[in-house]
Amino acid sequence: MRLPGRAAAFLLAAAAVLGWPLTAAAVEVGEPAPPITGPRADGSSFALSELSGDIVYVDFWASWCAPCRAAMPRLDELHASLGARGFSVVGVNVDRKRRSAERMLEQVPVDFPVVFDPEGQWAERYALPGMPSGYLIDGDGVVRYRHTGYREGDLPKLANEIEKLLEENQP
Amino acid sequence: MKTVIRLVAGLATVGALSGCALTMEEVQPWQMDNLARSEMALQIDPQMAAYRSHIAFSKEAATGGASVSGGGCGCN
Repeated sequence: MRLPGRAAAFLLAAAAVLGWPLTAAAVEVGEPAPPITGPRADGSSFALSELSGDIVYVDFWASWCAPCRAAMPRLDELHASLGARGFSVVGVNVDRKRRSAERMLEQVPVDFPVVFDPEGQWAERYALPGMPSGYLIDGDGVVRYRHTGYREGDLPKLANEIEKLLEENQP
Repeated sequence: MKTVIRLVAGLATVGALSGCALTMEEVQPWQMDNLARSEMALQIDPQMAAYRSHIAFSKEAATGGASVSGGGCGCN
C-alpha cells in the first residue's frame, strides 16, 4: 500500500512545481449548491440551510464591482416582490474590508440578507467565473440557473427562471 | 522513480523556502480588487513619472523617447 501514497505525493509535488490549479471545480447547473455560512451585518450568523425549501438567488458581490452595485437595487426589488411566494435573495460580499461593504450598503441599502466572506472561502468553493455571479437554487438545494455579470437586460431572464421555479415549487 | 520523487520533492522544498511564488497563480474574479490598488500601478505618481521622463530625455538629448511621436531629431 506504499505505492499509491507515493504516487499521490509525486502527483501533488508535480502539480505544485508545474503550477496545475488545485482549486475546486466551478459549481454547475444541476449540482447541489455548497452550503454557505457566515456572519451577517448585525453580527448574527447566517446559514443557507435556513432557507431550504425556498427558491434562493445567491449573489456574490463586492463594493469595487460596478455591475454588482447596479444589480443590487434590482435584486432587492425581486426579493421584495416575490418574498411572500417563497423566494429570497442572499448577497455574499467578498470585500476584504468589512467597512467597504458597509459603506456601499449605506449608499445602496438592501433588505435581503447579506453574508460577509472576507477570505473569499465561499467564492473559492463556488469557483466564481466572474463578478457578480449568481446562483438560483431550487427548494431541494440544487443549482438550476447560473448567471455571471450584470446588464439591465439580464433581469427579465432571471425573473423568468425564478417564476418557473416558483411554479414548480407550489405544493 | 525514487530519485525522481526525491528530485521533485527537493525542488518543491527549495521553491517553498526561497519565498518566491512557486506557481503562477491566476487572479480569481473575486480578487480583482487587488489589481486596482494604487501600488499595483506601473506608475504610482503620473506627475512624478512625467517629470522623470522629462529629465531623462533632457539628459539623453533626445525627445520623444517614450511616447511622443517623432524620431528624436529634435525638429518637431
